[in-house]
Amino acid sequence: MHPFDIKTVLFAKHAQHVVLIHFPIALFIIGVLFDFLSQWKNQRLLAAAAYYNLLVAAIATLPVVVTGILAWQWELEGQKLKGILLMHLVMGCVSTVLIWVVWSIHTKTRRKQQAVLPGYRLPIEAVAVVIVALTGHLGGFLSGVNGPG
Amino acid sequence: MRRSVFIAGLAAVPLVLGMGVFGTGRKGSITSAQEKMSTMEVKIDNFSFGPVTLKVPVGTTVTWTNRDDIPHTIVSTDDPKAFKSKVLDTDEKFSSTFSKPGTYPYFCSIHPKMTGKVIVQ
Repeated sequence: MHPFDIKTVLFAKHAQHVVLIHFPIALFIIGVLFDFLSQWKNQRLLAAAAYYNLLVAAIATLPVVVTGILAWQWELEGQKLKGILLMHLVMGCVSTVLIWVVWSIHTKTRRKQQAVLPGYRLPIEAVAVVIVALTGHLGGFLSGVNGPG
Repeated sequence: MRRSVFIAGLAAVPLVLGMGVFGTGRKGSITSAQEKMSTMEVKIDNFSFGPVTLKVPVGTTVTWTNRDDIPHTIVSTDDPKAFKSKVLDTDEKFSSTFSKPGTYPYFCSIHPKMTGKVIVQ
């Protein structure tokens, strides 16, 4: 397969999920890192950077969820999942919800023009990063990236 | 004359029954030998099918066993699909009987780089 064969890339029924998943993972983790730094250094610029990273991360989860469900429906014909596949699906859904929750906390604060973000967001963000990382690990394990293959 | 025919007939009965019993026994043993010969196994390990290409006679049942820690599937690349398994977890098996000669390429739909082939002769 040629790496720049557009047709193959577009019509591979499962491949988009594996490619697209990297965007929300990277954006969310960096967004949370900026948020922790902004809290520590008390810099509004870092908080703004965190907000925009979290915004794009939340948007990027949408095609990831869609392509993940399509991969399940097309490649596995929607059969009942179990084991690692089921765990990956459940944790993926939880990760998506948490990313949106974190983004919504930041958005509400900005809309209300409050200067200080609520402190409870930090443990939520930390838990979300762990769950996102675990989901990504399971995905990598399934795809063979984290496995022996 | 009639009596001798009757006696000959009586003598023939156990002979015929005996032939039937022995005949059945031999047929049974041949069938079990054929069954043993007509089952082949493909192991899935380390993200690959082993053997990658399997040559079998017509009527063979091929059994795939997932020895990997990762779920895999066995899906025919033919259209319409000659065979398609559910998702196989570790140590789960899938079998398919090949009744027509031909080449049957297949792959794992979760890991499309994993491919194999059954050649039925």
